[in-house]
Amino acid sequence: MELFHNLILGFGVAISPINLLYCLIGVLLGTLIGVLPGVGPVATIAMLLPITFNLNPVSALIMLAGIYYGAQYGGSTTAILVNIPGESSSVVTCLDGYQMARQGRAGPALAIAAIGSFFAGCVATLLIAVAAPPLAELALKFGPSEYFSLMVFGLIAATVLARGSLIKAIAMVVFGLLLGLVGTDVNSGVLRFTFGIPELSDGIGFVVVAMGMFGTAEIISNLDLKDKREVFLSKVTHLYPTKDDLKRSWASILRGTALGSCLGILPGGGALLASFGAYTLEKKVSSHPEQFGKGAIEGVAGPESANNAGAQTSFIPMLTLGIPGNAVMALMIGALMIQGIAPGPQVMNEKPELFWGLIASMWVGNLMLVVLNLPMIGMWVKLLTVPYRYLFPSILVFMAIGVFSLSNNPFDVLIMAVFGVLGYICVKLECEPAPMILGFILGPLMEENLRRAMLLSRGDPFVFFQKPISLGFMVASAVLLVIVALPAIRAKREEAFVEEPK
Amino acid sequence: MRIKSPKDFWAGLMFIGTGLFFLIWAYAYYQMGTAVRMGPAYFPFVLGGLLAFLGLLVFIEGFALESTGEPLQLPFSFLDLVIAVAIFAVLIYLSTKAGISSDYGMLAASLVVSVLTVLYRPNAKALVLISVGCIAYGYVMKPLGLVAATAALVFISAFGGHEFKWKEVSILFVVLMVFSYLVFVKGLTLPFPMWPAAWS
Repeated sequence: MELFHNLILGFGVAISPINLLYCLIGVLLGTLIGVLPGVGPVATIAMLLPITFNLNPVSALIMLAGIYYGAQYGGSTTAILVNIPGESSSVVTCLDGYQMARQGRAGPALAIAAIGSFFAGCVATLLIAVAAPPLAELALKFGPSEYFSLMVFGLIAATVLARGSLIKAIAMVVFGLLLGLVGTDVNSGVLRFTFGIPELSDGIGFVVVAMGMFGTAEIISNLDLKDKREVFLSKVTHLYPTKDDLKRSWASILRGTALGSCLGILPGGGALLASFGAYTLEKKVSSHPEQFGKGAIEGVAGPESANNAGAQTSFIPMLTLGIPGNAVMALMIGALMIQGIAPGPQVMNEKPELFWGLIASMWVGNLMLVVLNLPMIGMWVKLLTVPYRYLFPSILVFMAIGVFSLSNNPFDVLIMAVFGVLGYICVKLECEPAPMILGFILGPLMEENLRRAMLLSRGDPFVFFQKPISLGFMVASAVLLVIVALPAIRAKREEAFVEEPK
Repeated sequence: MRIKSPKDFWAGLMFIGTGLFFLIWAYAYYQMGTAVRMGPAYFPFVLGGLLAFLGLLVFIEGFALESTGEPLQLPFSFLDLVIAVAIFAVLIYLSTKAGISSDYGMLAASLVVSVLTVLYRPNAKALVLISVGCIAYGYVMKPLGLVAATAALVFISAFGGHEFKWKEVSILFVVLMVFSYLVFVKGLTLPFPMWPAAWS
């Protein structure tokens, strides 16, 4: 049993004291920022990236991963108790979770959310362990044309699954690709689009862009809104769900986990899409859809399981192909590169302790979250009473320190501020920043593989349609685009994203 | 013809402008190469063209669509943006002309833009003061050290929030300063100067 052997290796790495510590730090930090609205996992991971430079690669990845799935747990707490999605993936949890809390059933809602998340986490961990090795094996056979087509597919899938206008999302991807080209051209050594600024010769730092687009831009947008958070705290009594609750929610948990796992693997997927999809699904299959929005426990169980499953399975394309499916995975790739590890299918063979250690740590982290979080809910809720006017200068200080310490150069902080303004404008123009970040990180890779593929094929662009795997990705991309362009599906896609809390 | 969706209109313009810029710049300054051996200009040229084309589609949608949702609300106009960039360009140019580091030009320009914003565009306060706070942090750090830089960031950005109370913000500054010192300077041993270089 090779799988068994690998998992034992992984757990050996994950339960070493130092890694347990970083796992704990990660999940606690993740829960913390999950509880606090206005700070997301992207900004937090970006903030911590420079610091991971001093850690060993396994500990660094374990901690960063913990932040991402920890945030899914924390986000549901805020959604249920205060009707504010602490995390965007918890938006739908507000609908029924808060209603349950108003009926005095906050405890069961929180417990079901935690149980569902834990179950989904376990399944997703196992799924990664089973699915990743064959995928990586397949990926090892990829040549430049396959990689190029795969990236085209990934980027298109990311735009299809993004919110809002499809054309704008594709335009943002192209914009990101172009920004990624700034710096020294690896083939010719020519400095491109640097305008004589020496700091740009290495390209624009990914962390800097991410912090600006997701960090400062988010703070500015939050300050634009009036601070209208009212904390309605119902006492959380009797945590344990009744037998009836369990009976009603176990099927939802299963469905949520299955749907979340599938959507997480897709490029552009992840926690957000999974939770929206699961809520719609639960409403569709329910025998009493009129109860949704009035405190149906299925409406909590499904999405909460789905977002955790999605958060974890989105690691699969990152770990096996080296291709990020969402902004958090793009940051993970950044973390690998900081450590001098080229992301891709070879990581599994060359660094098995890293790969399996990370996977095992996810299960350990999920266990920690369940054990630690339910008793600590009171403390997390207290945090919500901290006003935003204390929070945002603190976040800014940490971001500024993080960015400045990248190379001790004020120029990085300046670029962060510039991207903050750009990100703010993009939000106002309803252009999603997430596809841009994906394009930004894939830009140089795409150009590299395009050049190689064209060189090998002597300039014949049809090479992308001649190799079977490459052709498959190209056809899949085209089908995706056509499907989304169909008016009926277009309406559905818009509908799926407007399930706002009342 | 009336603009039905100003968001699409401006987004389209932004994409067209950016796309054309990359396309023209690549064509003018870098080698194009051939499809077999692509030069540094090839990929950006193609992408720039694609972006401009997509921008055009969005732009046209801005006219064609029935009005969607609420209108675009930016706290500043296009002209404000141009003026702000111009102030930065002029002051940075002047500071290098005067023989001092362009860093001071950057700081001076940040200050001018902040004051102008607070006086004339109060709605853009959050946007400008938070950005300027970050810039100030970076450019104050080298000459004056971590304490001054943190103070600049905390006070400037807090001023961009809804309410500003000296006492509260001062306490926040002290707490953050102590935390930064313990975690980043002592704990992670990041090589930041604490105090102005002239003092030591």
